[in-house]
Order: sequence, then C-alpha cells, then structure tokens
Amino acid sequence: MFNHPSELIPKLDALDYVVDEELATVLFLMMQLKKPLLLEGNPGVGKTEAAYILAKLLDTELIRLQCYEGLDVQAAMYEWNYQKQLLAIKIQEQSELSAEEKESLIFSDEYLLKRPLLQSILSEKTTVLLIDEIDRADEEFEAFLLELLSAYQISIPELGTVKAVSKPIVVLTSNRTRELSDALKRRCLYFWVPYPDSSKELAIIKKHIPEIEDQLANQIIGVIQKLRKLKLDKTPGIAETIDWVKGIMALDIKELDEFNISQSLSCILKSANDTRLIKQEASSLFQ
Amino acid sequence: MAHYTDYHSFSEAFIAFGSFGRAHGLNIGINENTESLITAEMLWGEEDYMKYAIRSLYCKSPDEFESFDIIYDRFWERKKLTVKSKVTYKNQTNLTKPSKASLVMLGEGESNEDEQNEARSTSGANAKESFRKTDFAKVQDINSEQLEQLADELWNQMNLRLKRRLKMGKKGHIDLQKTIRKNISKGGTFIDLIKKKKDVQKFRLLVLLDVSGSMDKYSFYLLRFIYSLRSNFENVEAFIFSTRLIKITEYLDAKNIKESLAILRHQADNWSSGTKIGSCLKDFNERYAKRMLNGRTMTLILSDGLETGDPTLLEDELKKIKLRSKKMVWLNPLKGMDGYEPIQRGMKVAMPNIDHFSSAHNIESLLSLEKILINA
Repeated sequence: MFNHPSELIPKLDALDYVVDEELATVLFLMMQLKKPLLLEGNPGVGKTEAAYILAKLLDTELIRLQCYEGLDVQAAMYEWNYQKQLLAIKIQEQSELSAEEKESLIFSDEYLLKRPLLQSILSEKTTVLLIDEIDRADEEFEAFLLELLSAYQISIPELGTVKAVSKPIVVLTSNRTRELSDALKRRCLYFWVPYPDSSKELAIIKKHIPEIEDQLANQIIGVIQKLRKLKLDKTPGIAETIDWVKGIMALDIKELDEFNISQSLSCILKSANDTRLIKQEASSLFQ
Repeated sequence: MAHYTDYHSFSEAFIAFGSFGRAHGLNIGINENTESLITAEMLWGEEDYMKYAIRSLYCKSPDEFESFDIIYDRFWERKKLTVKSKVTYKNQTNLTKPSKASLVMLGEGESNEDEQNEARSTSGANAKESFRKTDFAKVQDINSEQLEQLADELWNQMNLRLKRRLKMGKKGHIDLQKTIRKNISKGGTFIDLIKKKKDVQKFRLLVLLDVSGSMDKYSFYLLRFIYSLRSNFENVEAFIFSTRLIKITEYLDAKNIKESLAILRHQADNWSSGTKIGSCLKDFNERYAKRMLNGRTMTLILSDGLETGDPTLLEDELKKIKLRSKKMVWLNPLKGMDGYEPIQRGMKVAMPNIDHFSSAHNIESLLSLEKILINA
C-alpha cells in the first residue's frame, strides 16, 4: 500500500495516466479509508479511465457494470439459471432424493449466474469494481446499491446474505444528467473531474502521441481550450482532443490553419450546429 | 466568525471546521468528521493534500466543490468570505394573491361587470361547476379561497389518476397464455418464459412558468398548479422566468405551500416585470438543458407569449428545447379569451414548434392537461 498521495503520481504516470495532486489525493484516500469513490464530470474527461488505471496500478481485475435505464437486480447482481434448474428437476424425477434435498440442490451455487456486483465481492483477490454512468440507472437501483456500498454484502433470498470475500475498490462515475440521491453520495468520496488545464492536457497528449511536436500540440490545445469556453452543444473532452491530434497526424498537418481546422473538425465536434458555428468563426480561434 | 486560532487543540478546531462548513450549507455528519480526522492524521502538515482530501469528504456536488475552497480558506486562513448563506424560511410574509393588476394587452381593458360577477352569484354544487370555469383573472378575493381549495382538490385527483395509470402494468409478469403456447414444442414444460410488456416508462416533466407583469393575475394559480404536479410526481423540474430564469424545483419540495410561495416571492425580484422569453430559454439551454431534457421529457411552458425581446432568439431556443424533448406543450391563459389568435410576435414564431397549444385560464383548462400527460 501507499504511504502518501504523491507516491501515486509517478506510478500512474508510468502507466500513461496523467494525474494531478487533487485526484491523486482522492485515490489515495479511497484506498486508505476503503470507501467508494464517486467521480462526476463532463463526458470525456477520463472518469472511466481512472478506474481502469487503478486496476492496472493494483495489478488486479477490473469488473465493470455499465448502467442503463431499466437496469435491474438480475442483470447487475445475480440470476438463477432457470433453464438449467428445470432440466435438473426433470433429471431428478426418477431419483430417490427427498424434496428438501432436491431443492437445496437446484438452489446451489452451480445454478447461480453471477453478475458483476456478485462477482466482485466473491472474488478471492481485491478487485476494482467500476459502476459506470450510474446516473443512467433508475433511482430504485441506486437504493439497491446502498447495501453493497456500505456493508459489502448482498442478500439473496434463497441463499441468505452473501458477505464479501474481499472488499472491492469501488469507483462510480456519473455525467450528472441527474442528481444522485444523498444517501448514495454520503457513502462515497466525491470528486468533480474538471476539464484539464493547458499544461495537463499537453502532458496527456504527449503520453498518447509521443511523436507530436510541441508547437503543434500547443496550437491544438489553444484551440481546444478556446472551444471549451464557447457555448457548444457538445463540449469536446480529452477523448476528443486525442482523436483530433491523431486525425491531424494522419492528415500529416504540420501547422494548424483555418483550412485544416475545418477539414478535421469532425474529430472534435459532434453536432451540426457546432460545426456551422465554428466554421464561421474558425479564424477567431487563433487570436 | 469562527477561526482555527480560537481553538486549543487541533481536533477541536477540526470539529469546529465541520460545523463551520455545515453552517455554510455543506452536509457534514459525524461520519465525515471522523473520517476527516483520520485523514488529517495521515496527511498532517501538507496543506494542499489535506485540503483536497477533506474536500472529497465534505462536498457532494460541483457547486459545493467550488464554494469549499472559500470556506476552507476562510476558516484556516482568515480570508474574506463570500459564500451565499442559505435562504431562511422564518419571518417571511405570506404571499398575497394578485388582486388589482390589469390585463394590459389586446385592447381588452378592464373586464365588464357581468363577467366580474360570474363566479360570485352562484352557490352550492352549481358553484363548484362554475368555479371550474372561472377565469383566474376575474376571481374576487371573497371566493378565492374556495377556488384554491377546489383547485387543489381537483388537481390532486387528476394527479392521482395519472399516477395510477402509470403504475399499472408494472414489472414483467409472466404471460401464461403465451408461455403455454410457446412451450408446446417442449412437451409442455415451461422452458422459455414469455413476460408481459415492461412497465410504462416514467416521463419527466419540465415546467417553465412566466411570472412577468402580463401574467400577473394567472401566475399565482399556475404556480399552485405546478406545486400540485410536483408533489405528485418525482420527476418534475420547474423554473420561473420573466427577465431572467430561476430554478424553483427545490422550493416546491417544502411541506408548506405558503412558505415556498413566500420564498419564491422573495427570490423573484423580477416578478411582475417585462418578459424576455427568448433569453430566458437561452439561459435554460446553456445551463440545464443537457441535464434535464431527454427523450422522455415533456416540456410545459405556461406563458402568454408576449415577448418583449428578440423573437428570432425565442424561435431558435425553442427549437433547441423541442429537439431534446419528447413533447412540447404551451399553455396560454389568453387562449381562454374569445377571439384570441396566436398572432403576437412571440406566439407567432413559437407556434410551429409546439405540439399542443391550449388555454390555462381556469381550473378546467388545466385539468385537460391530463389527456396530454396520459399519452406522454
């Protein structure tokens, strides 16, 4: 384990993830306090990536639960393998077993389909559990997570309460499309992931595309940072910046100008409105 | 003002910081305090790290994240504090009902004697019926209380009906008939289960209420209407606007409607001034649209559409909202008037973007919203 947040920075850097003191502190704290971490921020600022990197850093498995509207217990936690159970009943029809024995057999581990949440707490080794885009799931599901996040246990009616073999490191992410419940927030550490500043963004680009020249990279970042200040329908995140740099490298552009900005706009802008707006104002992005 | 030098020991100061933060709107409990003490022990002497760590313990939203820096610096370094304190509920005067404001547009002038009496001269069961049809603008102080009562009653009934309908068909129950049919080929053993259709998706409701001068007579009742919607549905977001936009969802949660109305009155210094619908919608689109609108959102605009700003802006912003929401409903109190046509510049540009356009001048017209909500 780590003794100080600053130890995390070079280690994560070696894994190609640029982290500042603020995020490093929070990651350090979540491991120390064994508390789930809730990362909120705009799309494309590297929230999900943080969980992946954490798993790499700790050299452990990452279990991911992608949330969506209508996500229920069956898909998130466990489900009985109904078909297999039925077949088992058929096969047992001729056997001498008592009804109780038959029942305990078909409600045993063998017939339990483990979904991400159950998998993560039953794993022998500590895993990183990523609950991605929790804001997409229903409020009911949020309530249901509370038991897992505070007591690290899951209740299965047929089996009883299943306690965690090892406590997973839980990372939740949210795009803030809706406000999460206070009960859930209280159980988590909270961190708002902002868009990176120029120097951090430069470091990130250099990690991903080491061959880029400083001058071009700075130009690109200048434009992106300006774009973020405009009120666009879809503000470009870091993912978009990286895509754009890759696009520019593929087009073999050495220096940005109005023409090649509009040529490669599709990498960063994801709405017709935005594209029109920026094409009109491409020249002002250099000032 | 609290400051760390006022305390003898570090942990004492730390707990005091907890209550200091609480006083400034952060949600800090015993748990948070304990954990922050543990954290402080680990990161003792390293100011920045400690601040970041405690921030992640104490703050639960980007807004709190922002204000934390100021609160923290104020307590530990005695800097000037500029955090807004929470609105206090006490000692607010009750909101008075709109009484004398006049309807300024359309050359209507003061309404005539007959119409003024239309609600007063009836009694008993008949009165209830006629109250339903009374124009809010013509309500006298004498029967306003009765009207409010009836309105609340009817609206609550409507909401209850809606809620029941939404609850029906919940969860995928097994469809026996289809299951038997499907499993004939498997020798009658139910291998594949056919479930009934999944529950009806909950819709979200976004309400934008115009509280400008021209709406004066109606806004009080419409606000009550929104309040009743909000107390019955989980997913309602509400805003009021005239020259600027104010989010009022939180205030509608207060148990007592009088209190919340008083707070709203206090908040909305622009209440009963001119209307800039376009720029208010623009503000909404920039700040909230992404978060609140999706394919299930029904947008409900309650306004007379008398725009004093730029109508093209209104058109553009309305289009944006329309694109992001499932249905756009515009309720206009003026539509209740005989011979009303949506020809003012605001309404004219808005019309092509509206799915439903109806009146909102009396209880009955608002009750007709039920039909629209059911199909939402």
